[in-house]
Amino acid sequence: MTPASAAAAPALAARYWRSRPGLLVLFCLAFFAALYLYPLAKLFVWSLYGPKLGLANYERLFTQASPFIAFRNTLDIAVIVTLVCLALGYPIAYLMTTVGPRARAAISLLVLVPFWTSILVRTYAWIVILGKNGIVNQALTDWGVVARPLSLLYNMFGVQVGLSHVLLPFMVFPLYGVMARIDMRLVRAARSLGASPARAFLHVFLPLSLPGVAAGCVLVFVLGVGAYVTPALLGGEGEVTLATLIELMIRDLLDWGFGATLGVMLLTVVGTLFVAFSAALGLDRLTGRG
Amino acid sequence: MSSKFVIGRRKVIKSTGALAALAAVGPFFHVRPALADKGELVVVSWGGSWAKSMREVIFADFEKASGLTVKDDTPPENAKLKAMSDAGNVTWDVLETDLPAIQTMIGNGLLDPMDYSKIDKAKLDKIPKELHSSHAVGNKLYSFNIVYNSKTFPTGRHPKSWAEVWDGKAFPGSRSFAFRGGISPQLEIALLADGVAVDKLYPLDVERAWKSMDRLRPLVKKWYQGHAEAIQLVTSGEIDIANTVGSRGITAKRAGAPIDVEYNQGKLGADYWCVTKGSKNKKAALEFINFALDAKRQAGMVQRDPYGPANADAFNHLTAAEAKDLTTSPENIKRQFWINEDWWGKPGADGKNENQKQKERFAEWMLKKG
Repeated sequence: MTPASAAAAPALAARYWRSRPGLLVLFCLAFFAALYLYPLAKLFVWSLYGPKLGLANYERLFTQASPFIAFRNTLDIAVIVTLVCLALGYPIAYLMTTVGPRARAAISLLVLVPFWTSILVRTYAWIVILGKNGIVNQALTDWGVVARPLSLLYNMFGVQVGLSHVLLPFMVFPLYGVMARIDMRLVRAARSLGASPARAFLHVFLPLSLPGVAAGCVLVFVLGVGAYVTPALLGGEGEVTLATLIELMIRDLLDWGFGATLGVMLLTVVGTLFVAFSAALGLDRLTGRG
Repeated sequence: MSSKFVIGRRKVIKSTGALAALAAVGPFFHVRPALADKGELVVVSWGGSWAKSMREVIFADFEKASGLTVKDDTPPENAKLKAMSDAGNVTWDVLETDLPAIQTMIGNGLLDPMDYSKIDKAKLDKIPKELHSSHAVGNKLYSFNIVYNSKTFPTGRHPKSWAEVWDGKAFPGSRSFAFRGGISPQLEIALLADGVAVDKLYPLDVERAWKSMDRLRPLVKKWYQGHAEAIQLVTSGEIDIANTVGSRGITAKRAGAPIDVEYNQGKLGADYWCVTKGSKNKKAALEFINFALDAKRQAGMVQRDPYGPANADAFNHLTAAEAKDLTTSPENIKRQFWINEDWWGKPGADGKNENQKQKERFAEWMLKKG
């Protein structure tokens, strides 16, 4: 770098910030700062008041059993739901890459229509389907498979089924996005060199689709950890999740300090898991650094 | 790999994430119901059919009499009022809610003391003294009752006491109780089920009550979130017996649902009118409360939703058949007991009242896997 160009750099930077894309970036930063960073900072400050400034809320967090049981319930739900979504979403996304454009549009629509439907409507639909007098139990008792209606609703099972349905699109689309970019000639090359279809899939296609797996899992997991409506409506036997506990603190007990502390705990743990996930599964490849 | 595509993907992920985040926080943005200083009065109740009846029976006439527009909002939650108060912009004027919630609001400095000089003495004389609270005056009486599916238990062969509700052998079927216990955890009811006499309830033996709750727990299939949900669960046959607000059960029964209500050992409480601190319409708010406590209007309200009127004169405007259905009909009220709101609402040494403490304990109890 010549001395002249070094001197010109700040001027160039200033001109950049005044240019149209620069203004857009500034606008975005301001938007994020006002609507995301500021509330987040405020949440953190609240967590330090219990009600006097100090670490009383954090002391409570680590000495009480309930936040940890709630957190375990939350993880139970989020992990199972992530695995179910992956098991269901991967074949769907794979199918979308192999069929023609018309069939692909049809599958996309089938995934998208529920996505566009209100979460409340979808949750209530499961109440109708899984209920004591619901379609599933009616069929099972009519065919004589079971003598008495099964308990499918208002327990962990109901929550996991409902939430998997709600979150499935968040798995399918990241997966499809990555799979669509995979060069299928590589798979054909493997086949022509003597690999069986299974082997070509396992050694060529699957590794290339891993960033999509990571992106889908992270999205579903994070949304699953924070889910509130579905566990509240489809749970019943006391599957208290962290979101429910936070709601109780904020809405009923007016204990905003401890509610904020639980929020900070959730954010910290999810943030840590996100970093670990992305390091292990190569999420960075998805955001263009790979 | 083309960088264009990568940016596209990134955008997709970000925008999906942003959408999801928006969807998640959406319910917490409070949509301002009205600008309180523009000739509008905002009245906040628990919504549903009660709010609809208020519009027909009270709001319409009050608008004519006062020239103000009445807007309604729901629910009258502590957290919303606190958020408004913190932001320095209280848009609510009048609230209708239960005393434990009101005590918590008073503790947080969110309410003005009730100005009884602005309420007609003739009306106040007909409202029981117990409902004249420092910051709030009683409006309607309701109770937590045994609400059951009448197909599972034909009326007459249904559970008639909380001890029978606790008895899963004599009365097989699933139960539903309120998540968080509604107005307050149902400790009185747990004690009654355990054999405590109704006049020996207070001060509550908290430990004994929670032990009794332990015995109830295996019978509960669903801890419901709202009373409307409880009625729906019983009506659909998903749940056989619920502990919920009886008058809602009566309303559903009138509409033809297979549901009935046992008033015996019901826990009576009241919803009160109160005025928010920071209301820009204090004068109109008190005028409204005075207007709403009129005997004829109180009667009109309970004809539609069979709670109990706070103003005893309301019974003069009801037929015998209408009065019979009410939570506080002479026949029903003598079989029920009053919640001791002082026991629940008085702040203890640590500044927390029993309602807050027992709700916290409820959350912990819920989290202990039974």
